[in-house]
Amino acid sequence: MKKATLYINGMHCASCASNIERSISKIPGTKNQRVNLIAKKGFVDCEDNIKEDDLKNAVKRAGYQAIKVEFS
Amino acid sequence: MEHNHIRQQTNSENEITEDSEIRDWFRKLIGVWVFAIPIFILMILQRLFGINIFSEQVSVLLFLIFGFPVIFIFGFSTIRGGLRGLITFYFNMDSLIALGTIIAYITGILNLFDILLDYSGVASAIMAIFITGKYIEAKARGKATQEIRKLLELGAKKARVLKGKKEIEIPISEVSIGDIMIIKPGEKIPTDGIVVKGESAVDESMISGESKTDEKRAKSNVIGATINQDGILYVRATKIGKDTFLSHIIQLVEEAQGTKVPIQKMADKVTSIFVPIILVLSILTFFGWMLITKDISAAVGTGIAVLVIACPCSLGLAVPIALTVGSGIGAKRGILIRKGEAIQTMKEVRIIVFDKTGTITKGKPEVTDIYSDVKESYLLDIAASLEKLSEHPLARAIVDKAKLKKYRKVSEFKILRGKGVEGLIGKNKIVIGNRTLMDEKNIPTKGFEPRIDGLEGEGKTVMIVTENAEVIGLIAVADDIKEDSVIAINALSRQGYKTLMITGDNEKTAKTIAKRVGIDAVIANVLPEDKAKKVEELQKRAMVAFVGDGINDAPALKQSNVGIAMGSGTDIAIEAGDIVLAKGSLIGVVQAINLSKGTLRKIKQNLFWAFAYNVVAIPLAVAGLLHPIIAEIAMALSSISVVTNANLLRRKRI
Repeated sequence: MKKATLYINGMHCASCASNIERSISKIPGTKNQRVNLIAKKGFVDCEDNIKEDDLKNAVKRAGYQAIKVEFS
Repeated sequence: MEHNHIRQQTNSENEITEDSEIRDWFRKLIGVWVFAIPIFILMILQRLFGINIFSEQVSVLLFLIFGFPVIFIFGFSTIRGGLRGLITFYFNMDSLIALGTIIAYITGILNLFDILLDYSGVASAIMAIFITGKYIEAKARGKATQEIRKLLELGAKKARVLKGKKEIEIPISEVSIGDIMIIKPGEKIPTDGIVVKGESAVDESMISGESKTDEKRAKSNVIGATINQDGILYVRATKIGKDTFLSHIIQLVEEAQGTKVPIQKMADKVTSIFVPIILVLSILTFFGWMLITKDISAAVGTGIAVLVIACPCSLGLAVPIALTVGSGIGAKRGILIRKGEAIQTMKEVRIIVFDKTGTITKGKPEVTDIYSDVKESYLLDIAASLEKLSEHPLARAIVDKAKLKKYRKVSEFKILRGKGVEGLIGKNKIVIGNRTLMDEKNIPTKGFEPRIDGLEGEGKTVMIVTENAEVIGLIAVADDIKEDSVIAINALSRQGYKTLMITGDNEKTAKTIAKRVGIDAVIANVLPEDKAKKVEELQKRAMVAFVGDGINDAPALKQSNVGIAMGSGTDIAIEAGDIVLAKGSLIGVVQAINLSKGTLRKIKQNLFWAFAYNVVAIPLAVAGLLHPIIAEIAMALSSISVVTNANLLRRKRI
């Protein structure tokens, strides 16, 4: 289990945040996804096999851009 | 000057995006209004005053020409995002605006062929108001995050370090542990470290929120980003990068922003299904009006009004914006809210349990009285030799008092947690500890009882020193109460909280101290590992907040409903505690409670207004009682008002 922090561009309304949460939640092995519109950040707990690109693609699918992903 | 220079260079990633977003909206705002103002003038003259400068066809043509850049150039990102959302089923706010404006624009084209009434002017008005609203909202949001951005900017960018005998200036990222940094008066201390040479007052207010300076001399700990006032300091760097005090604080605040307040669950759920519901509702409205009035123009107008009045933003922003402002205000004062949940739970808390040592008291016990049946120097000699091997604060007090040059050899040493120590010096069995330990070892203390009672009555902790199962003396230790503990606990009692003190001390000593600070009751003789269990018992009666140092008290902090961890000096316990206080004063507890209550009140107000707005406005729009332009203005105002209301939290005195 690791924690990912996503830096997200392009959000401007509250539905945006919930769209990204929905999109990330579709990746198997992720849970507890929280996107903060004001901080422009997303936080998600994910299994070790989840890669940066998996998360970036999920954000992209919802119509936004993840500029950086940090794992901790 | 140098200091200002360093400050100006400081710029965080976060701020750049925040500012560029505002600038972006501002550019669109100007562009949109250049073209929208003529449209507005024309519309007002036509619709309000009945003045027609041009024939109807020409004015519709003008609406379409001027409206094109408004909607499709300056509104491009909104239209694009909105349409993409409609295709991918990731609907957002833009989807509603895009649909509303495009349909309205098309009515203008159809009007040229006499098919429909014209709404193309309305399309531009909606987009112009939408962009204006977004700009104002972005600005207000920027204000909401100002404290947190300031925190990010706080760190120094450069450091002057000693390389050989030369002073060189290097970027902060190149400082390594062990480097000697030179800090002149007025400069920022680049990173956490220990003073090796020099003396100066250091302003730590940016970290602790307390406006007082701290005297620093050799061996003092200093914190990066605090400001050296009057002397030159030579500091050896001990922590860099992500391990510094400031980085820890920033990490805390940023993580807190990612947490959710339970109360927001409902709002989040509504937000996530909001847009599709409105889309369906808008279509139903259109057909309903068609059915009833058979007037396609009225049906289109009402449908558009429903599309643009609905505002998921006020709902989705209501909680996070208030949490952001609240945690920002807190961070500035050294109150770090780690979990949004704590804000809501705090309101339910009725009992506040304080750890004694280091929380109510200074945590630096000193020996005050010695009674000895043998030579006092001998008593101290054996006591200090044994206690030297223990880490306990009380042990340290004895060692400090004795100031021995040479310690006696101790064998078979044992720490009896929460009770005392034992060991052999030569052939003599030495046991030092509290009454409980003496009872366990069957050592009679009878002759000393009145004396022990007297000392405990003064709030002192008495350690009984025995040699070969016989009491040879008493050492009393007192731990001063922090000056503001009394004020803080009084304030809490006035607010109706039941206050309790938990300690490993005996009941009498504990009660004396409790009385002095105004605490209602004590739980004494508690072993460190049992604190969490005691908290659990109290939780059967009411919600409990626990205030402790975060290191020894971690389990109790976790067990409690709201754990408040007190930081001290250069360390803050990140993991323990829902709320972390960067400063060591109990006033912080009072402030944290006030802040939580204030923030929760804002959250509730925001949620109420956001729900109320949508509940009232949507039916009005469906009923055709709101013109689309009025609907859009109301929508923009609703999300601005939520953000502005959150910003008002700053006015509250904490």
